[in-house]
Amino acid sequence: MERPPSSIKDSSEKKYIHDTSSILYPREHMEIGHPLKDGMIEDWDMFESTLNHIYKRHVQSDSSLHPVLMSEPPWNVRIKREKLTELLFEKYNIPAFFLSKNAVLTAFANSRASGLVMDSGATHTTAVPIHEGYCLQHAIIKSPLGGDFITKQAKNFLTNQKIEVLPPTFIASRETVKEGQLPIFKRKELLKGVTQSWQDYMINTQIQDFQSSVLQVSDVPYDEDTVEQMPSAPYEFPTGFNMEFSSERIQVAEGLFDPTVIKAPGLEPSTMLSMAHIATSSVHMCDVDIRSALLSNVIVTGGNSLLLGFTDRLQRDLSLKTPQNTKLKVIAPSGTAERRFSSWIGGSILASLGTFQQMWLSKQEYEEMGRGCVEKKCP
Amino acid sequence: MHREVYALLYSDKKDPPPLIPTDTQQGYKQMKAKLGRCCVRPWKWMPFTNPARKDGAIFYHWRRAAEEGKDYPFAKFNKAFQIPKYTDQEYQSHLHDDKWTRPATDHLFELSERFDARWIVIEDRFDHLSHGKRSVEDIKDRYYNIVNKLSKVRSDPNLSSRAQQSYDAEHERKRKEQLNRLFDRTTEQVEEEEMLIQELKRIEFRKKEREKKAQDLQKLITAADNSSDLRRTERKIIKKKLPITLSSRKKDPEGCMKIPETGGIKFPDIKQSGVYLRSQKKKTKAIEHLLDELGIPIQPMPTDEICQLYNDLRSDMVLLYELKLAHANCEFEMQTLRHRYEALAPGKLPSTSILTPASLSTLTKATEKIEEKAESNTPPELPSSPSKVKKMTEIIDVVATTPQSPSISVTPRFTLGETRTSSLPPLADFEYTTLYSFPYSSTIYCTLTKDLVPALGESEFMYPYSVLCADTRDFLVVLRTLNLYSGPRSGTQDFYQCLLHSMNPSI
Repeated sequence: MERPPSSIKDSSEKKYIHDTSSILYPREHMEIGHPLKDGMIEDWDMFESTLNHIYKRHVQSDSSLHPVLMSEPPWNVRIKREKLTELLFEKYNIPAFFLSKNAVLTAFANSRASGLVMDSGATHTTAVPIHEGYCLQHAIIKSPLGGDFITKQAKNFLTNQKIEVLPPTFIASRETVKEGQLPIFKRKELLKGVTQSWQDYMINTQIQDFQSSVLQVSDVPYDEDTVEQMPSAPYEFPTGFNMEFSSERIQVAEGLFDPTVIKAPGLEPSTMLSMAHIATSSVHMCDVDIRSALLSNVIVTGGNSLLLGFTDRLQRDLSLKTPQNTKLKVIAPSGTAERRFSSWIGGSILASLGTFQQMWLSKQEYEEMGRGCVEKKCP
Repeated sequence: MHREVYALLYSDKKDPPPLIPTDTQQGYKQMKAKLGRCCVRPWKWMPFTNPARKDGAIFYHWRRAAEEGKDYPFAKFNKAFQIPKYTDQEYQSHLHDDKWTRPATDHLFELSERFDARWIVIEDRFDHLSHGKRSVEDIKDRYYNIVNKLSKVRSDPNLSSRAQQSYDAEHERKRKEQLNRLFDRTTEQVEEEEMLIQELKRIEFRKKEREKKAQDLQKLITAADNSSDLRRTERKIIKKKLPITLSSRKKDPEGCMKIPETGGIKFPDIKQSGVYLRSQKKKTKAIEHLLDELGIPIQPMPTDEICQLYNDLRSDMVLLYELKLAHANCEFEMQTLRHRYEALAPGKLPSTSILTPASLSTLTKATEKIEEKAESNTPPELPSSPSKVKKMTEIIDVVATTPQSPSISVTPRFTLGETRTSSLPPLADFEYTTLYSFPYSSTIYCTLTKDLVPALGESEFMYPYSVLCADTRDFLVVLRTLNLYSGPRSGTQDFYQCLLHSMNPSI
């Protein structure tokens, strides 16, 4: 269950502010935080407050009237699942509950019951094999190369280029300058008590915008000559600085597919797996009988996969690594929403199935069997 | 009242009846949209219980009010896979296995029920830590063993009626190992395999071709054997009681049918336009020539007996001709092989007797047989002085349609495919062989050895050098280009003479 980051106001009693738009407003002592860590719920207070916010602002109805279907990462642990079940039944008094793996839901969203789900999100990229609606937990491969990694790479690159990135909120006025010239702008006086985490968040948001409009993955492994011929992309920063990015825009994203080029401190390039490597090693860990079924249904999802050229490159790299006699098909829905919220779509499909109604974990069952029942009922 | 009249009086629409007859019934004139006559069927937010659920939980959904109280329609899709269960006693007496503990087995059956025997998922969720590492094959093996044992032990019709489910874990393991290996092949391995497969195909193709050739030869030989045997016996009968045989022959069409249809040659008794094979034309010419040599008219007196014998004679000649072709063909092949062998391993050539293929010797025999028979088959009534009759072998010449007179002495500098069998040493300094390789395509192979073409030098050709010519004319062209022949570009008729002349002007 992923939600936009919530912010915390640190005082004697914490006050939570939610939603993507309201946290953009500078507030004193407001720290930015996220209830999830590694896809699993870490900060239960923040999570609860997020739930409250959702029920109050978005559902606008009593929680006891609606069964809840939640997605979870495939590696979720038993304690957290049980705690979540307990929270929802005891506190929110929901009539029924179901937990489903997000990779399974993604497969459903692409109308498939088996397949390999390549989920390239912000914090990590995972390959999860799905067999007949169940995920194979022992063959999951995770890699920290995701959207955040690209943001870090982009940040490094911009710092090296001595380009200052500031979000529009930080700028009072600016002048139009010619391409590549130093920007002329005035910084806004920031509120005194604004925290570092909030500033970082704002800057990262700005870099992510740069990422989505400039960066591209080349179709073939990085090569000076071919890259020279690629069209360049112009980008204007909020400071007024603007520039055409040509080979750099490909270099930054290349690390995803060729980790040997990564030159960032803290990340050991040799231990990283490239995108195609993640997929093939996951397939390799599965039973040989289902490998061809997995390879013919490689489902690409996650916000990071929206990087220009991501799927094309993945297709190319995978076709080099798969045996010739096996069919390879990479399925990637074209829409942005379909990639970012594929598990929501799958969940909506699943919950509206007539046959799904018998799978709910009902309140009665919870009361009879206790919170351990979630482990039995929700595979 | 008629329908039409009634419609004029009572109609839904109040329009006046049309003045002109029309096809269209309503046109665009219908004022009111006519929707379903049914009244609105309302929907209702109602509670429902799903019979597929055991707890009887109540959920709510929208449904047509009319369907209130009916069963949940999707409940019927609740199909569960029946996993057999065992009792403690059964386990202790029958199901014990050293490799599997009771808790592990219980765990396996619980998982089988939860995941409806999806073995790959079961293997994934199996508690390998507490129950030991198990592969899919181990799990399936154990499960099917138990099911089979239970069905044997129990008198439960549910179980025992089920067919024994055989599962060969060892075989499965091997299969998966093979699949694994197949999956792990590198690109180079795949390429190598493809190359080998192609090579194999080529070898097999060649083998087939060779077998086909051998078969054709065999057919010819047996045809020769059969016809000679058949004719011999027939001849005896004819000599004894000629008139009766003739009449009996007429009555017995099978006897005629037995004459082998060799060569499929069409004798152009009447010159007709139409499709014919060039090789056939050559054959016909050869036969005509032979007939001429034997002093038999091409169109003899068409009495019954003469026609019969004449046809027999001609088909024998065709057979003989074909046998000769095959013989020469084999000789040539042997020759090329010998050359190739010598080129590869000089001086190690085994003696000719070993090299001579069996088919060649049988061919020679068959040729002799036919010869003998054809000679004896010559109609006795026809004027043929024995002095004039040459040996047919000498007359039928495969090399060219012109007869090769036996008196021509060939210089030891070269040998012809045909004359090579004479007193000349088998491998002269220079030798070339010409022959028609197949009955239907006149092809000349010629093998030139080094000494023939000293002018060309050593660099340009690999000796022995084989040329494939489509025709004698082509062959002449080759010779011209090699500066071996300067005579006229004549056709087939005096080719042989020209050749001889060019080789040895003294002839």
